Amino acid sequence: MINGNLKATYAADEKIADNRYKVSFIWGLAALAALLPIFANDYIILVACQVGIMVIAVVGLNVLTGYTGLMSLGHAAFVAIGAYGVTLLHHAATALSISDGLQPFLTIPGAMALAAVIGLIVGLPSLRVKGVYLAVATLSANFIIIFLIELDAFAPWTGGKTGLTTVDPSIFGWVLDTQREVFVLIAVMAFATVLLVQNLFRTRVGRAFIAIRERDYSAEILGISLFHYKLTSFAISAACCGLAGALMAYFYARVLPEQFELLLSLQLVAALIVGGMGRTMGPVFGVLVIVLSPELLKVVLSAIAGDSIEAAQFRAPLQEIIFGLLIIGFIMFEPLGMTQISDRVFRALNRWPFARG
Amino acid sequence: MTKFNMTRRSVLAGAAAGTATLGMPAYLRAMSGEFIIGASLPLTGPFATAGQLIAPAFSLYEKLINDEGGIAGTKIKFSTEDSGYVPQNALANYQRLLASEGEKVVAYYGDSTGFMKLVGPELKGEQARMMTSTSFATELANPETHPYQFMSGPTYEDQFNILLQDIAAKGGKTVAFVHSNTEFGTDPIKAGQAKAAELGLEVVLVESTKPQGADIPTHVTKIAQANPDYCILQGYVTGVWPQLIGGARQFGLTTKFMGTFWGMEKLIADRVTAEAGPFLEGYQGVMPYRYSYDTENAPRLQQIAAMSKVALAGTPLENYFPTWGIQAFASLDILTIALRRNADMGKAPTADNLAAAVATIKDVDLGGYFGPKISVENNKVGVGRVYQYSAESRLFTPTSDWLTV
Repeated sequence: MINGNLKATYAADEKIADNRYKVSFIWGLAALAALLPIFANDYIILVACQVGIMVIAVVGLNVLTGYTGLMSLGHAAFVAIGAYGVTLLHHAATALSISDGLQPFLTIPGAMALAAVIGLIVGLPSLRVKGVYLAVATLSANFIIIFLIELDAFAPWTGGKTGLTTVDPSIFGWVLDTQREVFVLIAVMAFATVLLVQNLFRTRVGRAFIAIRERDYSAEILGISLFHYKLTSFAISAACCGLAGALMAYFYARVLPEQFELLLSLQLVAALIVGGMGRTMGPVFGVLVIVLSPELLKVVLSAIAGDSIEAAQFRAPLQEIIFGLLIIGFIMFEPLGMTQISDRVFRALNRWPFARG
Repeated sequence: MTKFNMTRRSVLAGAAAGTATLGMPAYLRAMSGEFIIGASLPLTGPFATAGQLIAPAFSLYEKLINDEGGIAGTKIKFSTEDSGYVPQNALANYQRLLASEGEKVVAYYGDSTGFMKLVGPELKGEQARMMTSTSFATELANPETHPYQFMSGPTYEDQFNILLQDIAAKGGKTVAFVHSNTEFGTDPIKAGQAKAAELGLEVVLVESTKPQGADIPTHVTKIAQANPDYCILQGYVTGVWPQLIGGARQFGLTTKFMGTFWGMEKLIADRVTAEAGPFLEGYQGVMPYRYSYDTENAPRLQQIAAMSKVALAGTPLENYFPTWGIQAFASLDILTIALRRNADMGKAPTADNLAAAVATIKDVDLGGYFGPKISVENNKVGVGRVYQYSAESRLFTPTSDWLTV
């Protein structure tokens, strides 16, 4: 009976999922995602889509904050760029008579590229400041971008404060005009993003990010260009958020500026902290907690307090308090996040019966 | 391409089969005789005050209608959830309710313009339900783009029209528009400028501010420079009266200030008067409904007053029912009429049938919320009149006839 991870080859050492429990977990998640569109009701699809979109955005934030060590409180702005960008690019593509079925193949990368360019600009202060100073700089970027979106001068394109009606994407003629269909796209993109970003950290670029996180001066002495890699990290991070924004635009029939304000930026950071920074599955676990906890709290408190209007008046503030306490609890008792808990579980399973975590 | 379509069909067929399986119990439950009206309210967040004041209206209304015998014998029940004033949360509430209660859900009460816009395009097929909300956004008053949404009052543009007509009738020459930099604030500004020009009023200032905050008093200087006869405030719920109107009075300005529906709540005006002084004396604004104390020839308001005395005893709502709650009552009464007419015709309470039934509401007396009989045209009820606040009596009293727009 083999316990623990026997690594007899370099290939085995490089494996992402290095034991059968992790492999089973990944395949289980993939199977669940594949079955959801067939069996889940509309509400579960809605929540699953929200989870998928958030996962992509938090994976983006993880590249910057978790792996490169640069704090951002303004990533909702990049999600906004993606959402507005993809819609405007669809209009442009239609004006250029590009076939509907091909448009997403241009507009999604286009929106990601646009977000990446904005990310480069927003990332410039990171060359001079870090820590809370950078957090404030990125926070300002969030406000500036939302301000520009709402500005009357840009309203003919962005819809100003009234928002923008989005486009149903068509992929080779398959029009994704229901949330169930968009979920398929979101799930595929979420899996691909997690996988690609995981692989990024097995490359020179990814390792450079980690070196910067550990000690930027040391990294520079080792020959890593801070200018180049910090901005690259911002660009990749913003591109992921741009992808999340593009999918958000496909998912919701309308995008409104208020969807991309500070609250979203804070949710992204909270999800990353709860899930575990600088870990592949951190964003996934974190988003599951952040998105599903309020929903579960509603169900549980409804069961306890009833679903009358008076109970709802009582339940609503209570839900907020419990949710807040939950986040505080996580930070206090498991500062390394959900991934640390899952690591313990997988380790215990892998070594059972000889060790338990 | 053909092969791909086949795959899509098979996926959709599977999805439809799954949905049908999940939907069956909901349909069977619907047969048990209960109509659910869902609602999202901002019970937490920036507009929690409004949500907490509206919520009692639902429980009173549920009792009122069920005591009347329900909708052709079918009882109604409200399912209310908090949205935190976040449109996506309200959308999630709506879809969760549809998933859990299915066909029993016949209508929904939304909490914001943002939600109504977000959900509008989603109201298709089995996802469609008749909706009303707290919003008077002009964009929603369009049956072609929003076929399943209606409002029980005039749009913000209409409310501006009513105020501008009143100003012109009283001999005003100049007017300023001060609005918050939100969609709510900017909604009627352009149309207001056009209407003012049509009425021969000069718009001497259009000023955008934050919805609340410390820098609002700086805008008083602009109002002082423009020195208009009238100044209409739009897009504020609470908080700016002391800074803007109080500040203007400190400047010695005699400008008459006006507001629209969300700036006309007596509870807020009373609180501001108690805390900051009587500068709201003479403040005017447009209101589609009678205030709850104006119960003469208003049997519905008498019923609300009687119920409030019992059900809300010991709360601030015992002797006064807020305008925001009356808006909910009026909207729900329109919905109830549509449900009853629909039931009389033996039709299922689908969104299409209810939208058609709402459109048949012509020259109806709703029980005194409005002065004249009302009709629902273009998803709205285009009626309102101008009221004035007295800091001494702490009452809003009418200063104009009912105006139809």
